[in-house]
Amino acid sequence: GRSGDGGDALRPLYMDVQATTPLDPRVLDSMLPYLTAYYGNPHSRTHAYGWESEAAMEKARRQVADLVGADSREIIFTSGATESNNMAIKGVARFYKSRKKHIITTQTEHKCVLDSCRSLETEGFRVTYLPVKKNGLIDLKELEAAFQPDTSLVSVMTVNNEIGVKQPIHDIGEICRAHKVFFHTDAAQAIGKIPVDVNDMKIDLMSISGHKIYGPKGVGAIYVRRRPRVRLEPLQSGGGQERGLRSGTVPTPLAVGLGAACEVAQQEMEYDHKRISQLAERLVTKIMSEVPDVVMNGDREHRYPGCINLSFAYVEGESLLMALKDVALSSGSACTSASLEPSYVLRAIGTDEDLAHSSIRFGIGRFTTEEEVDYTVQKCIQHVKRLREMSPLWEMVQDGIDLKSIKWTQH
Amino acid sequence: VAVGDAVPWQVVDHYENPRNVGSLDRNAKNVGTGLVGAPACGDVMKLQVEVDENGRIVDARFKTFGCGSAIASSSLATEWVKGKTVDEALKIKNTDIAKELCLPPVKLHCSMLAEDAIKAALADYKLKQDPNKEESEKKA
Repeated sequence: GRSGDGGDALRPLYMDVQATTPLDPRVLDSMLPYLTAYYGNPHSRTHAYGWESEAAMEKARRQVADLVGADSREIIFTSGATESNNMAIKGVARFYKSRKKHIITTQTEHKCVLDSCRSLETEGFRVTYLPVKKNGLIDLKELEAAFQPDTSLVSVMTVNNEIGVKQPIHDIGEICRAHKVFFHTDAAQAIGKIPVDVNDMKIDLMSISGHKIYGPKGVGAIYVRRRPRVRLEPLQSGGGQERGLRSGTVPTPLAVGLGAACEVAQQEMEYDHKRISQLAERLVTKIMSEVPDVVMNGDREHRYPGCINLSFAYVEGESLLMALKDVALSSGSACTSASLEPSYVLRAIGTDEDLAHSSIRFGIGRFTTEEEVDYTVQKCIQHVKRLREMSPLWEMVQDGIDLKSIKWTQH
Repeated sequence: VAVGDAVPWQVVDHYENPRNVGSLDRNAKNVGTGLVGAPACGDVMKLQVEVDENGRIVDARFKTFGCGSAIASSSLATEWVKGKTVDEALKIKNTDIAKELCLPPVKLHCSMLAEDAIKAALADYKLKQDPNKEESEKKA
């Protein structure tokens, strides 16, 4: 990663797949005709340009549906998982508002879910934000206890984007069915990586993101169950496209890309999962065997292996990212967020504040190589050791001082 | 590489070519130690100065837990205090540190903490030279 002057300049290794993924070449291939010759509006009924775009769009819809075990009539294209989350939460809440005013979600959801809930609170809805255990999973008993007679929706993400933990979706689906409450899950980080079946898991609404599964940016989908029927108030008004739930011209090339990404993911899922698990195990084992005082955030077992969040005690996250300049990574540290607050997800799992400032997220994906993992590990070990040599906290701990006993100054 | 959030090279330089990382003997009478910040805030700086019999700072060391800008700010602080008298060093301002390192607005607090670290180290040194003065001031 030298400074970008184009040309021969080396670019950093990409280890930030939770943030976004590159387009799979097969996905690009599928999109190109619709970015060039086949540019018709898929809602144009009167000519071949429209018909061929419509056919491509419907094929993509089936590909998305197949990946999740749904009927293609239950898949609505959107601009991404953020829009899908907004639709699910606000749409369902508002549709049923005459009789139902309560929503249940968790403290570790993506910002768009939390912010949609906050927004509904200003409209007079009540929201329960379930805490999570130290391992990042919700307590099913607490979920049971949270239901109220007027609960309309439960929203719990499948795989967390910061720490990779996998919620007990099967169990949550069962509980929601028993209470006759709709179950929405933000599956942006799960689709195409672990098997997700909307019937098996009793899911009623699901958010899907294109650019997390080697598809294009700017497109996603929402799954909306037809039996039993889930109604929702549309966010976007217009010509009634997408069953009236999401007006606007469906962007054929993007939809085609999303469909292709889903089909490719379905084919590659088992192979990818096995390879990524091996690489993840390699990364974690090597780092933890060489460097003491490293904590993995989130449950060791109930997780998606390709998202690894580690806290390196006594070393601040952003300084480590700066030191690892040849690798593209991200951190739960305050310095790397717009506010100076460390990650709310790490806070929710009870991470001590100083450890929250010391976290790095490693993303391993379909195209990550063993060499890239080994290079990252080697550099990480080297720079953690170096930064610890520069750390007054490490020095104090080596001298036997209990950091918790110190009265720190505030600025 | 996008210009916007890229770390200024001045900041990276202090990490890649460290100056004055380390420790002085905190028990020595002519060494002042300042420890500022808090792990919960993601910023802790330890800055030490060694002062000669003429009141001139002859050596300085730092250790920092913090982002690149925090490391660079404290590193630069140790460079600047060397050769200055205690009173001259007290005049070092965070704005000068921030300007030298091209710190963006969101990182200004790092330079402020570095200024605090200098002051804390010098206050500790002064206290060691004249502990009775502090005692009588406390009683007053």
